[in-house]
Amino acid sequence: MLDKILNSRFWSWLFKGYGFVFLTFLYLPLGLIFVYSFNANSINMAVWTDFTFDWYLTIFGGANSQSEFDAAFTESPERIFEVVRNSAVVALCASTISTVIGTATAIALQRYNFAGKKFYQALLILPMIVPDIVLGIALLIFFVGAGFELSLLTIIIGHTTFLASYVFIVVSARLAGMDTTLEQASADLGAGPLTTFRRVTLPQIMPGVVGGFLLAFIISLDDVVITYFIAGVGSQTLPIFILAMMRRGLRPQINALAVLLLAFSFVVAAIGLYLRSRKT
Amino acid sequence: MSFLKITSAHKAYRTPEGAMVHALNDVSLDIRNNEFLTLLGPSGCGKTTLLKCISGFEDIDSGEISLEGKDLKGVPAHRRPFNTVFQNYALFPHLNIADNVGYGLDVAKVAKKKRNIRVEEALELVGLSGFGSREPNQLSGGQQQRVALARSLILRPRVLLLDEPLSALDRKMRENMQIELKLLQDSVGITFVFVTHDQEEALAMSDRIAVISDGKVQQVASPTEVYDEPANEFVANFVGTSNIFTGRIFEKQGNIVTIETANQRKVQAESDRFGIGDHVQLILRPEHLKFTPGGNGIPDNCIEGVVETCIFVGSDLHLHVDVGKGRKAVVHHRHDRGNADEKIEAGSQVTLYYSPRAAHLIKAMAN
Ligand SMILES: Nc1ncnc2c1ncn2[C@@H]1O[C@H](COP(=O)(O)OP(=O)(O)OP(=O)(O)O)[C@@H](O)[C@H]1O
Ligand SMILES: [Mg+2]
Repeated sequence: MLDKILNSRFWSWLFKGYGFVFLTFLYLPLGLIFVYSFNANSINMAVWTDFTFDWYLTIFGGANSQSEFDAAFTESPERIFEVVRNSAVVALCASTISTVIGTATAIALQRYNFAGKKFYQALLILPMIVPDIVLGIALLIFFVGAGFELSLLTIIIGHTTFLASYVFIVVSARLAGMDTTLEQASADLGAGPLTTFRRVTLPQIMPGVVGGFLLAFIISLDDVVITYFIAGVGSQTLPIFILAMMRRGLRPQINALAVLLLAFSFVVAAIGLYLRSRKT
Repeated sequence: MSFLKITSAHKAYRTPEGAMVHALNDVSLDIRNNEFLTLLGPSGCGKTTLLKCISGFEDIDSGEISLEGKDLKGVPAHRRPFNTVFQNYALFPHLNIADNVGYGLDVAKVAKKKRNIRVEEALELVGLSGFGSREPNQLSGGQQQRVALARSLILRPRVLLLDEPLSALDRKMRENMQIELKLLQDSVGITFVFVTHDQEEALAMSDRIAVISDGKVQQVASPTEVYDEPANEFVANFVGTSNIFTGRIFEKQGNIVTIETANQRKVQAESDRFGIGDHVQLILRPEHLKFTPGGNGIPDNCIEGVVETCIFVGSDLHLHVDVGKGRKAVVHHRHDRGNADEKIEAGSQVTLYYSPRAAHLIKAMAN
């Protein structure tokens, strides 16, 4: 009955139309940013004047044909390089540490039974539910109270607290699908617990570990809310920096930066997908 | 000195509902060096549990497992000189066949050159030379099983534990592997502890069979003994098919006893062990029940009956014969193509007899 209705011409077109509109809403803004990042009009970027690479060049320090007006609204390549480096350091450190913690916790919770296991599991999921803003404030209060000076280190610690949860969930899913007799087989063939972990468990859960790492990396890279609270003066990350730029007006250079960030995220996601498809 | 000895082993699991499952209930077993011992029992009787306790993946709650007099308590699985062929083979999917087989040697840090030679030998032993660079999922079930075998044998264990390794194979393959395994065991001289719930497999391959049910060892004996002289009713019914008559001995002449069953049937058997007044069960295999030849020489302990069902299984006819008083007898009759007179079908009147020597007596359970 329902089948018949859904297969009718009218409904079929309606659904196709809906899908089209939905995807347009989703991707049109991204497309616009991409187009505008090549627009030479620096006053009103919604009005197309000329094609230019200048905005990209200003990021890398290659543009020279700037008016006074433009110069006031563009950031120097040195400054951009600094915040990009900050972001990279934070994302790399935070995702590495949380990958180690998240993976270890996932294995412990999967393989061992101990009192309070369920409670512990709930605690691990909690940071994903707690609103970012609450987590940000809590971290700030903690750091200030504990006498930490806000710096890249505090951002790394802050990110790790909630990124470990993401890694935990991704790796847990992978572990649940793993055949435990493989580990028994390894022990049976004379391998001690460490050797078994290195030679059997780790290769088996590697796609999960890498996936968790990449997910954590991307989340850390574009986190605004939590970072906003715990970033010190000299430790701006790229998203915070872009936010600050926006306050002074929506300038074409931001478009170019956003496109680069988007492209980078795509590359990371593509690596993740590739690794997943290669070993399952 | 005894080789692998299990003494009064107990193992209970707690189910999530809180009940206790006694997977091993006072198991004692003396496994000899170089023998092919089969653990035979229905699903859930504790066979895998026993293997896990031997290999060290599970600890027994009480009792002792010892190898050549040395208690294995506290020795972790990776330090025990036993290897296991798992029910699902458990080949490492991220390693190719050669690396799977060489895993144990790699872990033991055997020199590369020697390792490669031994891997090649092991693959040859199981008839898979040249398969080294394949992935496990590029092999058939039977081939995977042989890889698992090679992977375990390469370490030259004292005991090889095999958990229903043939259950996933089709019948033809299984029969081939049964022969191959038996030949292999003869040639490598390693003790095999082989788990199966297939009684034919157990009879075909074993030096000795340990019949297990409900976590208890019911009988340990050679295949012929288990089949011809089952220790109790469970073994009689689980290994092959049995006709069982329960009753009291009321007459004994020489070593021929006559038993009267509850519904006044009189059956005879040969026995030294039992005397007048004993409660016994008479166990008779279906192939020992024969049709009486027509004419004069009719033996005196005959059973009249009507054929109810007649199933043709190739070499034999399997008959269910209604012998009256609510009892059925199972008869396996050798299919005789040359004999044109012989015509047996449902509804045929038949007279059955057996030689008292073919009957086996056991003590009846008190009830
Ligand atoms: N981890 C466990 N927790 C609770 N009960 C268990 C556990 N492992 C096994 N059992 C129970 O112990 C009993 C024996 O199990 P076991 O695996 O030894 O049977 P098996 O003889 O190998 O059966 P199969 O022929 O089906 O493999 C079963 O009743 C099973 O339900
Ligand atoms: Mg089992």
